[in-house]
Amino acid sequence: MFNLSEEEIERYSRHIILPEVGGRGQQKLKESSVLVIGAGGLGSPALLYLTAAGIGRIGVIEDDVVDLTNLQRQVLHATPDIGKAKARSAGETLQQINPHVEIDIYQHRLTKENIFDIIAPYDVIVDGVDNFPTRYLLNDACVMKKKTLVEGGILRFMGLIMSIRGGESACYRCVFEEPPPPGTVPSCAEAGVLGAVAGVVGTLQATEVLKILAGIGKPLYNRLLQFDAEELRFHEVKAKRNPGCPVCGKKPTITELVEYDYACETQAPKT
Amino acid sequence: MPNNDSINGPRLLEREDGLPPASPGLRLIVQGGERIYSGPPDVRSLLEARGENPAYVNVRLNGEVLNRRDFEKITLREGDKVDFLYFMGGGVV
Repeated sequence: MFNLSEEEIERYSRHIILPEVGGRGQQKLKESSVLVIGAGGLGSPALLYLTAAGIGRIGVIEDDVVDLTNLQRQVLHATPDIGKAKARSAGETLQQINPHVEIDIYQHRLTKENIFDIIAPYDVIVDGVDNFPTRYLLNDACVMKKKTLVEGGILRFMGLIMSIRGGESACYRCVFEEPPPPGTVPSCAEAGVLGAVAGVVGTLQATEVLKILAGIGKPLYNRLLQFDAEELRFHEVKAKRNPGCPVCGKKPTITELVEYDYACETQAPKT
Repeated sequence: MPNNDSINGPRLLEREDGLPPASPGLRLIVQGGERIYSGPPDVRSLLEARGENPAYVNVRLNGEVLNRRDFEKITLREGDKVDFLYFMGGGVV
């Protein structure tokens, strides 16, 4: 009935027993593909759960190398992996967790030149990037190609999650039209982040992906969920498509990809 | 998410035991919770009163995301719903 081996049926039995998933949902997961941008704080928990859940094909794009300071939250990587390419380290860990999953490794940075080709084969994209330029590039590309994107961000004790159906639901720019002025919002390296907050947000991103692919419940479209670990509170803000959004509004001004300057010395986008 | 209503800017009038505030204030729904503020009721002052750095957040007022350049120009009114949307770029570093 379903294209699942006996070993797979046993492996995913706690999914299959859920009426909302069942054999049909598990089969859908197996036939699906997900691309995770970044194998770091958010990418680690997201990748671990998506791989364990039996997504058929998972892409990982990451150009960094495992560093000692990563290990407080980037749970895909272990102490012996220090100095190793994160993409390779991620691939090795994920393959051990679930050999049924096909893992695609991209050991380079996302750019406006390569992003359309890289995202094209995947059903859902997960944002686990560490900087605003790539975050905006990814949002714009997913809107233009009508891809589903699960956004996530963390800083200090806070996190945010938002699911975006490109061209249909509110996008990241509908809420955050332009990147913050350079130097105003610190990175996790500058301001710190509680490691477990990355776990919460990355795991919620994986949950969203699994729901979207298996057709379960209500995705976080047109909603932005903010997490405050200090108060241990979630705060949901309704988001709606902004008619003035520069990428998905009525008269978009961004019609081809722009890449903001990585040096953060200027906001002038490179076109 | 800083929540310390500081002594700078509008002062939060705490209502204890459900009693009305000692002086008239502006009732706002901030981050889903009802609060009463005194002082100059513009968006920037509210951010300062809440200990929020205006550079870190976008503000949504009654469902509309505000232009960041207008924080000082927009006057808050009784019953306004205000949500803070935090820029968070981090994931990997």
